Amino acid sequence: MSVTLAIAVGLLMGIVFGFALEKSRVFEPGIIVGQMQLSNFIMLKVFLAAVATGAVVLAVLHGFGYVKLAPKAALYGADIVGGLILGAGIALAGACPGTTLAQIGAGYRDALFTLVGGLCGAVAYSYAEPTLSKTFLGQGGGKLIFSDLAGIPYWVGALILAAVIVLILFALESWRPWRPELGNDVDGDLTPGASPNKLHVVPAE
Amino acid sequence: MLSQKAWSPYLAGVVIGLLQIPAFLIIETALGASSSYVTIGGLIASWLDPAVLKIGYVARHVAVTAKNWWQVALVVGIALGAFISMQMSGARRHAISPIWQRALGSASPAKRYAVAFFGGFIMLFGARIADGCTSGHGLSGMAQLAVGSTVAVAAMFVGGIATAFLVLRRI
Repeated sequence: MSVTLAIAVGLLMGIVFGFALEKSRVFEPGIIVGQMQLSNFIMLKVFLAAVATGAVVLAVLHGFGYVKLAPKAALYGADIVGGLILGAGIALAGACPGTTLAQIGAGYRDALFTLVGGLCGAVAYSYAEPTLSKTFLGQGGGKLIFSDLAGIPYWVGALILAAVIVLILFALESWRPWRPELGNDVDGDLTPGASPNKLHVVPAE
Repeated sequence: MLSQKAWSPYLAGVVIGLLQIPAFLIIETALGASSSYVTIGGLIASWLDPAVLKIGYVARHVAVTAKNWWQVALVVGIALGAFISMQMSGARRHAISPIWQRALGSASPAKRYAVAFFGGFIMLFGARIADGCTSGHGLSGMAQLAVGSTVAVAAMFVGGIATAFLVLRRI
């Protein structure tokens, strides 16, 4: 495929992605930090709904032989160490690598600092990669997937995952309905008293 | 619909999940976001230090391939899509979310900018160690039933929850 076409497809897909992130409010620092403080579950709902949908889509596409799966290799040391550091970064940034861009598009100025920090972090890792990949972080198995471990076809495993997620989401929704968690100004700000129309003055330096 | 400020998280999640169809059928890859930081970061770094391109990891990411630049276009598109959605609904944002004053115990924008930079730095450093982020390991890896991705997502939530409780104040 030509690079130009790939860029055009990427832009179109990104616009849809960014639109959905903005509408779901999952890009809001208040929603992401709230999720990590277990006081807001909108992030988990968007995430699990997207995983379940992706699993059904791939069960069909792969089951009928239209696509090859592309799972990442299981590198447990790297997955655990990297995941812990990434998670800490998500809490402090109030964003993940994708939603940082949604925050910029929606107008959060601090997200520009998250973006520049992210680019610096990626460059710092790049310089360290030749060394780090020789440590335990480069050790691991192959492209392991659960359905192979269980000895069932991928599409069966994917549909089971989707069904389990749907059950979890029903339970989650009855426990914590999503509308009240949108917050005062659809920003995940759940403090009582602040009215949606109240002007938040940007504090002086 | 398009001018609403908020959709159900389930509707938005389904829309995001459906994006795996063009990703797998057209680009023959899964949704992801964090590799693009290496592509753009590596390119910028190469202006200051051309030797960075000799690192195989960087060379692979800045190469003019459909997958590398598709992902860069994807994240640029995310900013555009969020901007268009915000304009259509009128859900304008303040420069800094009001939750940060409580989370950081400070109204100083400079403090928030410093924390955002540091957070972004370790977020991408961690994502590159793990070889994926919330999109690549989370959305795509878990949908593919990948064992390593599931471990990475669990670690992400453990790291995020611990940091949000121990370092940040309750919002």
